[in-house]
Amino acid sequence: MFKKSKFWAILSVVLVASMLLAACATPAPTAAPQPQPQPAASDISCEGVTAGDQISMLYQWSGQEEERLNAILKPFVDACGVAIVPEASRDQALLDTKVQAGTPPDVVFWGSTQLKQYAEKLVAMDALGVDAANYADYWKAMGTIDGKLLGLPVKADIKSIVWYSPKAFTEAGYTVPTTWEELDTLVEKMVADGKVPWSMGMESGDATGWTGTDFIEDIILVKQGPEYVDAIIAGTTPYNDPGVQEAFEIYGKWAKDEKYTIGGAAGTVSTNFNDAINKVFSTPPEAMMVKQSGFAAGQITTTYPTLVYGEDFDFFQVPGVKGLQGGADWGMAFSDKPAVKALFAYLASNKGGEEWAKVGFDLTPNKAGTTTYEDASLAKKAEMLAATTGFVADIGDAIPGFGVTEFRGVTDWVNGGDLAQILSTIAAAQAEGTK
Amino acid sequence: MAASFLIFKGGKMASPRVATVMKQGKWTPWFYVLPALIIMTVFIVYPMINTVGLSFLNKDSSASAATTCVEGEACWGALENYRYALTNEINTSTPLTAWNTFWTSSYGNTIKWMVFMVAGTVIIGLVFAVLADKVKYEPLAKSIIFMPMAISFVGAGVIWKFMYNYGTSQVQIGVINAVITALGGKAIPFLSQPILNTFMLIIVGVWMWTGFCMTILSSAIKSIPEEVIEASRIDGATEWQVFMQIMVPIIAPTIVVVITTMVINTLKLFDIVYVMTGGNFGTDVIATRMYREMYSSYNTGRGTAIAVILIILIIPFIYMNIKRFIQQEAIR
Repeated sequence: MFKKSKFWAILSVVLVASMLLAACATPAPTAAPQPQPQPAASDISCEGVTAGDQISMLYQWSGQEEERLNAILKPFVDACGVAIVPEASRDQALLDTKVQAGTPPDVVFWGSTQLKQYAEKLVAMDALGVDAANYADYWKAMGTIDGKLLGLPVKADIKSIVWYSPKAFTEAGYTVPTTWEELDTLVEKMVADGKVPWSMGMESGDATGWTGTDFIEDIILVKQGPEYVDAIIAGTTPYNDPGVQEAFEIYGKWAKDEKYTIGGAAGTVSTNFNDAINKVFSTPPEAMMVKQSGFAAGQITTTYPTLVYGEDFDFFQVPGVKGLQGGADWGMAFSDKPAVKALFAYLASNKGGEEWAKVGFDLTPNKAGTTTYEDASLAKKAEMLAATTGFVADIGDAIPGFGVTEFRGVTDWVNGGDLAQILSTIAAAQAEGTK
Repeated sequence: MAASFLIFKGGKMASPRVATVMKQGKWTPWFYVLPALIIMTVFIVYPMINTVGLSFLNKDSSASAATTCVEGEACWGALENYRYALTNEINTSTPLTAWNTFWTSSYGNTIKWMVFMVAGTVIIGLVFAVLADKVKYEPLAKSIIFMPMAISFVGAGVIWKFMYNYGTSQVQIGVINAVITALGGKAIPFLSQPILNTFMLIIVGVWMWTGFCMTILSSAIKSIPEEVIEASRIDGATEWQVFMQIMVPIIAPTIVVVITTMVINTLKLFDIVYVMTGGNFGTDVIATRMYREMYSSYNTGRGTAIAVILIILIIPFIYMNIKRFIQQEAIR
């Protein structure tokens, strides 16, 4: 009996030891590329990269979005034999803790707020030898912190557009407005015809209110212009300036009244932003217009797969807007390995821009992609983007830690709060964020 | 330790000399609890001390909180984060506005939760425990009441969010509003109306935790000696008098333990508020505020200050709970 138990003891020790050895062995690289034939597109530079080099990546995209990213990076991966070790998560805290712990991934695709947040730890684009000639000045300005360009904008979307149904417009005899006064008249005409002009939905969990802040910023762009918005972002114009107050009041007039928006104030704050988009295209439509960013197209086609772009749903630019509000996801580098340098060089190159537009992963700020979009709605948005001279970021994205206060302020305003007090609370948060 | 070593040295058990075998060295108990102590220190004690330390620093822990003072406003030096945590939500311009904003601030809401959720769960749990005791299908009744405890807070939040849904079109997908509009009334936006929404959320909390209180109180009631109840009935007491003047005083210690446990649960409550309203429309509680400061505004100093305030508020109840628990154990 003693010998038998000794046998089992030795066997279990051996098993545990072998499991430990297997677990602690270094993992093999995920893609073991064979020696590649020389790539046909020799405009992808793989200087200093040896086949099998790894790049660890973190981004928020999964499912179909991740497939699109992989399709875009495929020419680069094939040409240079780089192995990408990806991680997809929407959790901001995950990225924060990795950076704070000193073990950030090599490349991160995240929001523009993170450029400022991690400014000291990022590797600047010049240090990576990236030529940013393909990017318009306003992109470079947005990504430049303390004089250094800290990231490459990769996936852009514009916000200053209004979605509507061309069929419903022609039936009712409406035309697309081109000035703000025409928009006002159109709204009043819709009300007189017994229709509801706007569909507004702010509800979005703990980010409730963000659609309101987007709308207000577009109104500010119409009434004041892009330099004013830039001054707010820089902190030189306080948030409780009369210009901002005017925009809040114009927005409030529409958002709080049942005549102008579905359900009035209660409807605006309780309706989810995706539901608000759907309401314009239901049968019968509950409202005529919804102001929303470009992603609305995806929402419409998912909910109503039979609708055709151009006939059943289309968009026009916010009338009279001087400049354009939008945002982008930014590619940022925490390391300066040769493989990372090659990746960013590819993204900033002509080939990179064309690939991005071809795959259609939203708009690409890379000018080389302006003409290669295959999707019609993306092409139209790209034209708007290329034609604009004053592109501004979302104020909430541009000031770290400020967004949440802005969202709550707008929600309170629609729910019946005191405007002066709300604006000074937001102004205090703005002052802290821009210090 | 030395004694036990001597006994086993020969490779065979010596005849047990009870006194020496049972006598443990001075350090032996410490070795037994050492692994648990290490884990507790690393995962609970150290983070707590670190949190308190961080609450005196600024938002990215690079300098003291005193540097975040704004000129022209009150400043508490290194305790600046605490000043923000305690006063930011309250509008102190007049006593009336201070009173009103206090009751929609996270502290006011937490007090409302504490009072109404604890009262609700304990009273309803007690009533159900007593009533279930008297019926034949008692196991079935108790399982049904207990079932909501089996789902997560987040699941309950999502379910009730749909129940309270306020739709703008003719079709109401929220059960309660559907009933109201079917009876001819006007739909109510439960979750966005300032004072009403907190009570709607408290209803969800009560729904979830009543089962817990009922179970504990039910076992306490069953341990009341039958003779006392019978004697009181023979003496002519009504059921209500039996309940209030005999049963409740006998199980009073258990009721106190249940109350303190529920208070601790309520103070920590986060999921229901976060899932259903995100803390908007005046439904904030301390835990959602802490989350928002830490992870949405990236302000470590303020988030940890709120966390420390929460710990300080919970400590008296934990103390009472443990004291009662030790007393109960001593009686057995």
